[in-house]
Amino acid sequence: MDIEFTSAQKAFREEVREWLSAHVPKTRLPSFDTQEGFDFHREWERTLAKDKWGNVNWPEEYGGRGLDLISWLIFEEEYYRADAPLRVSQNGIFLLAPTIMEYGTEQQKSRFLPPMAAGDEIWAQAWSEPGAGSDMAAIRTKAVRDGDHYVVTGQKTWSSRAVFADWCFALVRTEEGSQRHNGLSKLLIPLDSKGLTRRPIAQLDGDPGFAELFFDEVRVPAENLLGPEHGGWGVAMATAGFERGLLLRSPARFQAAAARLVSLYKQHKDRLSSGVGEQVIQAWMNTERFCAATYQLVARVEAGASITSESSANKLFWSEMDRHLHRTAMTIMGAQAELEEGLDAIDNGRWLDGYMFSLAGPIYAGTNEIQRNILAERVLGLPRK
Amino acid sequence: MDFRFTEDQQDLIDAAKTFFDGEYTVERLRAMAAGEEVENLWPQMGQLGLLGIMAPESVGGLEQPLVVMAAVAEAAGYAGLPEPYIEIAGISVPHATAEQLSGFIQHAMRSELRPYIDAALAKSGDAVKSIDPLRNLIKAQGGNDEDIDNINLHGAVLSAAQLIGLSQCMVDMSVDYAKDRHQFGKPIGSFQAIKHHLATVYTQIEFTRPIIHLAAIKGGAAVHNAKVAAIDTAILAAETAIQVHGGMGYTYEVDLHLFMKRAWALCGEWGDRNYHMKKLEDYILNGDAELGPGVTF
Repeated sequence: MDIEFTSAQKAFREEVREWLSAHVPKTRLPSFDTQEGFDFHREWERTLAKDKWGNVNWPEEYGGRGLDLISWLIFEEEYYRADAPLRVSQNGIFLLAPTIMEYGTEQQKSRFLPPMAAGDEIWAQAWSEPGAGSDMAAIRTKAVRDGDHYVVTGQKTWSSRAVFADWCFALVRTEEGSQRHNGLSKLLIPLDSKGLTRRPIAQLDGDPGFAELFFDEVRVPAENLLGPEHGGWGVAMATAGFERGLLLRSPARFQAAAARLVSLYKQHKDRLSSGVGEQVIQAWMNTERFCAATYQLVARVEAGASITSESSANKLFWSEMDRHLHRTAMTIMGAQAELEEGLDAIDNGRWLDGYMFSLAGPIYAGTNEIQRNILAERVLGLPRK
Repeated sequence: MDFRFTEDQQDLIDAAKTFFDGEYTVERLRAMAAGEEVENLWPQMGQLGLLGIMAPESVGGLEQPLVVMAAVAEAAGYAGLPEPYIEIAGISVPHATAEQLSGFIQHAMRSELRPYIDAALAKSGDAVKSIDPLRNLIKAQGGNDEDIDNINLHGAVLSAAQLIGLSQCMVDMSVDYAKDRHQFGKPIGSFQAIKHHLATVYTQIEFTRPIIHLAAIKGGAAVHNAKVAAIDTAILAAETAIQVHGGMGYTYEVDLHLFMKRAWALCGEWGDRNYHMKKLEDYILNGDAELGPGVTF
């Protein structure tokens, strides 16, 4: 086992640190779930892309630097250490892009990846439906082939970023009369398509973080089919693996939050009851455990292993860790915890935002109950029925 | 940066696991708990090189780092190894003088180690009785605090590793029981209440092992993190396992108790939860160490 970074990796860290310190906006951007904030975040994506910092582990031809996943982890560490803006492009770059790289045609790769890397096309996910949440195989939105187009009719929901984004990647039923996991396909659909209506949904903080999407005979070019026709379930599971497993939530984000939590504790220490300190330590411990586990997972992936059901354990761990960490911050802040803004609002309500968002963690990307079922059945071997 | 075992190390770990799982069966554990005579397996451990894992090559050892010993300790924990093997090979050996070591290795090679240990134990203190029927304890005088802190680093890592091995074993026993035991016309393992409990323990194990490996290599705060995480995981595993086993889990007849009691014992060994938590309090809450991303490794 070798836990030393190479001199090249150390130099890379320095380079990232230097660039970020010169470019990260000095004040926090408004939430990307507002039009104004979305525009600011898109500009930030363009700034990252201009110097090829947006996707360091992507091949160079698509806007990356062709580096390995260890370098990506180093980048993430420096990124969150610098308190750089959250990635408005995350659904595209972390979920769709790896799927395109695995399943896309050459034409799709060169059509979709560079504008995604550049921040010119921002993506939303369109999988869930009112009747297909945890039971995703109950998808009913249908796509009927008509010449060189699919005609899509139905409804999607909980589509994050879809209010302001440019494209969505949808899972739809292409095979008439098919049941459950069969007959589904993945389609890439422009959100300004004729017949597509977006209804913003306000999330807990009041901002329209996601949307309902209504498809009324939306015509989608057949070349926007990603992966095999009627084989969309497998393609979607690969995306879900990325989402739960590795890319969406690297340890750095949580480690940065844990460091801020320790500072918060130190500022309020004198008025806290004796158990709070242990919760703070526990929050820090969890982020370190997550980091160690991620480096081990990355070492295995770099050696050729693929991420399978263990992504469910990953998702359970980070989502519950994040909720605990932010809950602890809320406890520390006491009467100030409810304050969103104003003089006494600690850090402009950042912890409150973080706590609310952490409550979504155990729900999105497949609820934690679903993840526990997956682990129990596929890893531990307990009977389905 | 390649946080994986080398192939050679993995082969050694696998060989140890195969040996422990094959020889230290529950039948053997039960017999030992009942005070019956069993075959002395120390000669085989010596032949496999397990006793000298951390000893220098110059005295016939394998000179492996603590992290390899930790993986072997996890395998020993899984098998509920009822011998003071980890204490000898993972703690005494790395702290022994060259002279002591060459004596030790000679004893090991001549397969005489077990009587040597028994004789040493017999003259070193009064026996005390553990709830774990497979632990032979004696009350001995400790060294100074600094010695104890140093030895604790090894002991904490290796006891943490044994704890997650024990935890995994308790999960596996519970899975087997839940597949077999039927109520309401179905195996109880088909119920989500059971599945979710066990998935939670599994997740905690998976997110404790890597920090133990990091602790073995890096020392410092990771050691305290690893031991506390392993304690919490093991207690969760034991309480979950007894719940899944229902009334059977509360008996002396089902083997679960052997592993559960070992877990209880190791939670308090080599720095208990309070010891390690206080160290973390000093480091995290009262210290000024740099925390956050980029300082873990």
